[in-house]
Amino acid sequence: MNRKYLAAAAATAVALIPAVAQTPKAEDQIKLRKAAYSLMGYTFGSLDAMASGKRPMNKDEATRNAELLAQLATIPKGFFGEGTDKAAETRARPEIWTKRADFDAKMDKMVQETGKLAQVARGGDAAALKKAVADVDTSCSNCHEDFRVKRRG
Amino acid sequence: MSKVPPEGATWDLPVRAFHWLLVVLVVFSFVTGKAGGPWLEWHMKSGYAILALLAFRIAWGFAGSPPARFSSFLRGPRAALAYARAVARGQAPHSSSHNPLGGWMVVAMIAILFFQGVTGLFTNDESAHEGPLAAIVSNRTVDRMGDLHERNHWLVLGAVVLHLVAIATYHFVLKRNLTRAMVFGPLRFPLLAMVLLALAAAGVYGVVVVLPRSAA
Repeated sequence: MNRKYLAAAAATAVALIPAVAQTPKAEDQIKLRKAAYSLMGYTFGSLDAMASGKRPMNKDEATRNAELLAQLATIPKGFFGEGTDKAAETRARPEIWTKRADFDAKMDKMVQETGKLAQVARGGDAAALKKAVADVDTSCSNCHEDFRVKRRG
Repeated sequence: MSKVPPEGATWDLPVRAFHWLLVVLVVFSFVTGKAGGPWLEWHMKSGYAILALLAFRIAWGFAGSPPARFSSFLRGPRAALAYARAVARGQAPHSSSHNPLGGWMVVAMIAILFFQGVTGLFTNDESAHEGPLAAIVSNRTVDRMGDLHERNHWLVLGAVVLHLVAIATYHFVLKRNLTRAMVFGPLRFPLLAMVLLALAAAGVYGVVVVLPRSAA
């Protein structure tokens, strides 16, 4: 098998991890979803800075970040399994499990909006980017409002 | 106090303008803060404007027309208590400025709002928006400030409700209309007030724009 095949196989395997890997134990699911959210926050932050004019518009960079964000956005959903309400430190609210349909709908909305953002970023239109970034922003805060415990300093 | 100005001409224009701008901005901040997400950009701008207004009002409390000055309305606890007793008996002695209880309410309101504005500068929403000074402090401080910002908004709400209840009590129970004096009055906006307002705005600009840049 040549290297190209290997690389492709490896990439596919990585892409499919959430779907095919054995379900990680609750503790690790919490760790994984937190990692995804952290990276989402980072990539989204730079997109937001561009959309709001704090950083110069750069189509390639925006596209890279938006595509990465859209991929990352698909990860957390798979890691709110059984026992992940308390297997490690988490600010996930119990309502996630009692109002699961609502939670899933908000999660799907976020996945959908980040997908739209990736598409818009490829177009390179600043006004459209601003709108798409605001839509993602809203989908984040709508879910946080209902399902994330407020921080206590 | 030999001469009590007639109700309706107590407050100079800067005090009245300050008051109503503050009303609009506090309501706007409340709504945009609750809405979250992209509204937080407006929420922050509104907060900066509030901080500038408060800084101006504090300065005006020393330099304004006599009724606007802290020295005209800050009275000791004894006077405040005596006034509270009078109100409880259904009387409300005329004051040439804020009454002895209201004066402390003004200080409390300014302090609570100021605290809200300052904590806001240091916090973030844990996703896309952060106050202008959040980047130059530790995350622990950011969280602490966010917590305080969140808790203190209840004090803001409480102070606003208390204020409205007091005004309503004056209106309906003591048959005194205090709102009129906050609307009507002299139309002169002194140059000194403009200068102080500009200085207050410049000070806030320095804190939210220049300071984070120079610290980065």
